[in-house]
Amino acid sequence: MVTTGAFDGERPLHPAGEQVLLAAFERGWADPNGLGGASAQARHLLNAAREEIAGHLGVSGSEIEFWGEPALISPIALQGAPNFHSGKFIVGQTERQEILALAHDSPSSVQLNVNHTGLLDRDRLIEEIESNSTIAIQAANGETGVRQPLPDFSSIVGAMNAHLHLDFTASGPLIPLPTYWSTADFPAKSWDGPSGIGIMLINKNQRWAYPFSRATNRRSPESYSLPLVLAAAAALTGWLKDANQESDRIRNLISMMRQVISRTIPEVDIAGSGNKEESLPHILSISALNISGERLVNALAKEGFAVASGSACVASAIEPSHVLQAMGILTHGNLRISLMHGVLESDVKRFLALLPGIITQLRSEDGA
Amino acid sequence: MSDGAEREVLNCIGALCPTPIIQLSKAMKSLESGTKLILRADDPATKSDLFAWSRLTGNQVSVIDETSFEIVKA
Repeated sequence: MVTTGAFDGERPLHPAGEQVLLAAFERGWADPNGLGGASAQARHLLNAAREEIAGHLGVSGSEIEFWGEPALISPIALQGAPNFHSGKFIVGQTERQEILALAHDSPSSVQLNVNHTGLLDRDRLIEEIESNSTIAIQAANGETGVRQPLPDFSSIVGAMNAHLHLDFTASGPLIPLPTYWSTADFPAKSWDGPSGIGIMLINKNQRWAYPFSRATNRRSPESYSLPLVLAAAAALTGWLKDANQESDRIRNLISMMRQVISRTIPEVDIAGSGNKEESLPHILSISALNISGERLVNALAKEGFAVASGSACVASAIEPSHVLQAMGILTHGNLRISLMHGVLESDVKRFLALLPGIITQLRSEDGA
Repeated sequence: MSDGAEREVLNCIGALCPTPIIQLSKAMKSLESGTKLILRADDPATKSDLFAWSRLTGNQVSVIDETSFEIVKA
């Protein structure tokens, strides 16, 4: 079966980035830190890419560090916070597993609960925060699309002058940086840029030190690939242009999906409130009672739809999704729908027409 | 279980998600309103899924221990 509805969040490299990447690899680039004309040109291109990205993210070029290992950005940004090893480390229950693992190993950590719609416990944050605390907050969650009220949290943390690390992995620059922040994580994949490159933002007005080499001025391993940086910058420019045109249309499609699914499928949990201020425009997570997520994903694949699932029987881990558990949502029968720019409304409508029948059929086969 | 009445027991020890919930939903079909049932299940997703199941179906759930749950049909 040909996949016509790619709703699984696997996005190809943005065409603008692809074009730059191919040209860069074909040409071959010198080390921007070297001497000579080729290195000078490489340095010029690197700086231009840095300024292009900085302009889009609303920061200065000096606040950008490129990383060739995007998954390490948040853990290292947190460990470089001035009081990470002495103060309280405050994280949300729905943070990424590697951040929760850091909290588990921390001598003084606090986990903030989330409510049924996925929003962090604001009162507990106010109660726990101290001036030497380190706070990690996801701008939005990649499983559910739930968006946290960053301006409010930023004010709370800023009032204490504590370290605020923000993770934009799921949202990319769809959500702007708030007034107060210390470090931030932007993998290039978050704007359909290339894999293997990400950006750590380090606020120039905040203290931060590279945790593996505090004695130097170095702030990253500098092991990134220059062509990937150039492609990331071009992809970001192209992606933001698309997002300006597409975000409202995609949000309307997701809203339609929420309404139709809640009307046509009994005993289904839909994550989050769906309110504009509390959700990303393109992600929807639903869980249908009495169905295996794996069977649901396979049944949809037969109809040409690629959809991801956070159910334990589908995910690589045996444990159920900690995000869905924290929100009190069914962890089985889960579908994680992610619409990309250019998605056809006709594909979404065909999906909505098929889904109730597939769920009824699977429930009936199990006798539930 | 202080009333001393016998309960039907649904043993799903060793069954992986979502089998315990599906088996429970099937078992509930034949029960009268107010009937109690004990579910035994050790899959790590069952406990949180049971409370979501309760919210979606209206049946009541209370925890006896980490692998035992009392269900009351709505």
